[in-house]
Amino acid sequence: MWLWFSKLGSPRWFYELSNKWLPWLYAAMIALMAIGLFWALLIVPEDYQQGQTIRIMYVHVPVASISLACFPLMAVAGTITLVWKMKLADMVAKSVAPIGAWFTGLALASGAIWGDQIWGTWWAWDARLTSLLIQFFLFIGVIALRSAIESQDAAAKACAILAIVGAINVPIIKYSVEWWNTLHQPASSISFDSVAPNPPEVWVPLLIMISAVYVFFVIALILRTRNEILQRERRSQWVIDLVSREKSV
Amino acid sequence: MNNTVSSHAGTDISTWQAFCATLKRDLVIALKRKNDLLNPIMFFLIVVSLFPLGISPDPVELSKVSAGVVWVSALLASMLSLDNLYRADYEDGSLEQLLLSPQPLYFLVLAKNIAHWLISGLPVVVLSPLLAYMLYLPSEAYWTLVLTLLIGTPVLSLFGSIGVALTVGLGSRGLILAVIVLPLSTPVLIIGAKAVTDVMFGLPIGNHFALLGAILAMALTMAPLASAAALRISVN
Repeated sequence: MWLWFSKLGSPRWFYELSNKWLPWLYAAMIALMAIGLFWALLIVPEDYQQGQTIRIMYVHVPVASISLACFPLMAVAGTITLVWKMKLADMVAKSVAPIGAWFTGLALASGAIWGDQIWGTWWAWDARLTSLLIQFFLFIGVIALRSAIESQDAAAKACAILAIVGAINVPIIKYSVEWWNTLHQPASSISFDSVAPNPPEVWVPLLIMISAVYVFFVIALILRTRNEILQRERRSQWVIDLVSREKSV
Repeated sequence: MNNTVSSHAGTDISTWQAFCATLKRDLVIALKRKNDLLNPIMFFLIVVSLFPLGISPDPVELSKVSAGVVWVSALLASMLSLDNLYRADYEDGSLEQLLLSPQPLYFLVLAKNIAHWLISGLPVVVLSPLLAYMLYLPSEAYWTLVLTLLIGTPVLSLFGSIGVALTVGLGSRGLILAVIVLPLSTPVLIIGAKAVTDVMFGLPIGNHFALLGAILAMALTMAPLASAAALRISVN
């Protein structure tokens, strides 16, 4: 088990293994995305209340769910960096921060477009929107800290600490914000959790879209991490060999 | 013989003594620098008095936002003074001595954070009723405002300390500090300001205090650990 663990920490091993994974992931993403989008945009019946705008859900919910997963992922990678000093974990932590910020931004944007149609406003100080906005700020903080510290090693550890502190704070922020806006304003009529009472023809394509976007996220993360590996290991022999092989092709 | 004794003299003081010595040292330094002491308080006063200029002099409108204005200004004042926490010590090398000392860093950091709160947080708490009066906060909410600030401002110092510890070695850190610290401070702001507005509407506020107290307890136990770890990275 420990052999496997230390092997996983080797950037070169990950680079070569992910080479084999990527084609499968591309295929899975294209298939899931094609089925999911076709189903969600063309086949799903119009909602009796929301009409065509219900289709925004098929982008918004997957994007939002991933944006919530990014911070814990960054904190876990940060913990591994601090405890086992694994280089790969920090490369993942560095790669996931901008992706997380983008997904949070996309969730906010798609939510705003949806909100404009349903609530009649682009922005409301609704609990979910606000906590997502603060999470976006936290991501920006991590990215800013990373770019401000010159030493790579110090940046890795500092960002790991900030990610852990932030991850402990994210639930507190979420609950305090939820409870802040539920006293004045009763729970809004649009619930994002309303998947359950809906028939399968609504939630099955949603599940497909969620898995499609998850695969997309994994691909983006792997590609970013691979770039990071090449950049940091550019002086090692295997990267030099790899580049010269690419050039000769 | 004498040599061995003196070389071990540093380890002979107890953790409690080291804690008190650090606290005393920081307070003495702060009291000697009157400007650093006054600046956060003046900043707090100025920011609060900008709001009526920007919103309206109308008592009805001002009393509605007064709790939030005082809380946001307290948050900003606390953040402005954070830089004093480790910067001078970092520059003159005494921070390194602190890290090298055999005492648990947790308590030394905690002492520095308490000193920071006594210097920058407590004056804000003491001044808040005056500013609340100027902003037409209903008088029944005064005590709630003071008490929420009393529980909340130490949390701001403790969270802020993590941010400063992470950025103390950087050349330009002013804005990064704000970007890191402000989002972390939002729960305290939300709960503190909410308690004051709720009291104005005659709602029960016990749960707000319970939550604030819980956050303070968590911050006291965990934030200095994070600060200590961050300091060890920054001062490498």
